Amino acid sequence: MRRILSIVFIATFLLISLYPFAWMFFSSFKSNKEIYQPTMLLPEQFDGVAYKMLMEEQFIDFKGSLWQSIFVATSQSLLATLISALAGFTLAKYSFRGKSWLIGLAVIIILIPRQALVVPVFEWFNWLGLTGTSFSLILCGIASGLGVVFFAQSFKQLPNELMEVSKIEGISPIRIFLLIIPLFTPGLITYFLLHFALCWQEHLLALLLLDDSKLTLPLALAKLSDSSHRAPEAIGMAAATLSFLPILCLFALFFTKMRTALSQLSIN
Amino acid sequence: MNGMPNQSIRYLYPLLGPFIFFWIMFWLLPLGFGINLSLQDPSSGITNIAGEKVQYVGFENFTRTISDPKFHKALGNTMWYVVGSILFILPIAFFLSLALFELSRFLRGIIAFCLLIPGLALPGAMSKLFYLFFHGREGALNQYFVIPFGFDPINWMMDPDFIMPSLVMQAVWRWTGVVTLFFLCGLEGIPRWQFELAKLEGFTNFKKVRLIFLPGLRNLALFVSVFLIVDGVAAFSGAYTLLGGSGGMLDSGLLLVTYVYQVAFPGGSGRFDLPGAAAMSLLVAPLIGGVLFTILKTRTLLKKV
Repeated sequence: MRRILSIVFIATFLLISLYPFAWMFFSSFKSNKEIYQPTMLLPEQFDGVAYKMLMEEQFIDFKGSLWQSIFVATSQSLLATLISALAGFTLAKYSFRGKSWLIGLAVIIILIPRQALVVPVFEWFNWLGLTGTSFSLILCGIASGLGVVFFAQSFKQLPNELMEVSKIEGISPIRIFLLIIPLFTPGLITYFLLHFALCWQEHLLALLLLDDSKLTLPLALAKLSDSSHRAPEAIGMAAATLSFLPILCLFALFFTKMRTALSQLSIN
Repeated sequence: MNGMPNQSIRYLYPLLGPFIFFWIMFWLLPLGFGINLSLQDPSSGITNIAGEKVQYVGFENFTRTISDPKFHKALGNTMWYVVGSILFILPIAFFLSLALFELSRFLRGIIAFCLLIPGLALPGAMSKLFYLFFHGREGALNQYFVIPFGFDPINWMMDPDFIMPSLVMQAVWRWTGVVTLFFLCGLEGIPRWQFELAKLEGFTNFKKVRLIFLPGLRNLALFVSVFLIVDGVAAFSGAYTLLGGSGGMLDSGLLLVTYVYQVAFPGGSGRFDLPGAAAMSLLVAPLIGGVLFTILKTRTLLKKV
């Protein structure tokens, strides 16, 4: 009885999670009239006109936005992973003066969302003369408190004896880091994915910092749903489907690695 | 910290340097800039155009913000949004992960991945989708859940009473799967011997939940709530696309970040009130910081880092 209940529970949630995506996918083939009947799942015919229009860049520069998003998210996540791993390793495995102060800093960065400080950030980049370039968007997300805490937790598993030996042998901290980092690939990949997902969704900072020629996907989608364009709804759905594919593939590819890292993380 | 080598800070610069550099450049300096900005006269516009002389007005922007009823409204809405989504997400995710934990490892992996999918989608794209779902009488929600139970169809996006619930529902839909995955991995991380002990002692299910599962997930639940609070306060994209940048009917869907954006870049009028928006940001930031700090203080996550 309990088993049946729990299966029904899981199945309900599975349906709730996936149904909108199925609807989104099928809607990209529908006409406006069909889309305005939300209870209808399957279109009358599959023709893919919306995808063709999207690729021909009729309403937005979709391919440009896709590359822009991939470029920004990948470079920001790579840099953030590297820098947070370095800082997290140091915090987890060395004691030095001012350490508690630094941990406090890291935590405060997570606590205050960047979005709440968006206007000062905008003004600052304006002053630096970086607004409008994709570098501004990449740079402002690199120092991530979440990353430091994540890596500080992961590197704690490293035995202290190893650190002692390395000190006696006179190996510099940076060499040690390079030696042990291959052991932590699942953790690195997991954080990369988390950061990638957050960066992929960034809307507000992108809205302020980028100029019109370099829209990322959230901006392009918002522009598309703007009623003044009179784009058929199917195009919006096609764009949403396509913008979803890269990140879905990325997560599917590394999902097992991510599970390993997450279950190790929670032992403490 | 026992047994850790004490290293002179000189050797650690290459490891910590990059992080500190980026932190100062893109966090601390903007913050200073914001403080400077918040003390200026709003009528001078965007500051750095051609060295225009700026007028400092002291704390006037702050007092203006504090007495602004729309700011109160936005603060209250955001609070409801955050509290509402956490209260739904945590219990649902907890029971889902318990239910999944009974399945085989392979199967639960697949299901957890499917549940994760809503968290990966762009909130903007999802809002477009929800707009159609929630839209009018024909919306799926009305057709499947409201009308069959004999209620009047609800106008989800226009009725001031239902804008917040639809925003919360959206948040619950997005994050429940992600939180479930976290909890599931947490359950998998619980050492085997605890379950064997429970079997030997003949624990009831209730006792098992109380003595093994809840303690095993406490830290994760804390981490997740912090993440949800931060994300909830920063929520912008969903509401922005759903309500077209406005606060919705009677501002009942006005969230903090949306309001900051509205004040800074009002559509049409062209009168940018950047100092006012900066003052608002600076008022909000310590507030969130304070709330989260007290949560973290009660359970000492800080000690564990």
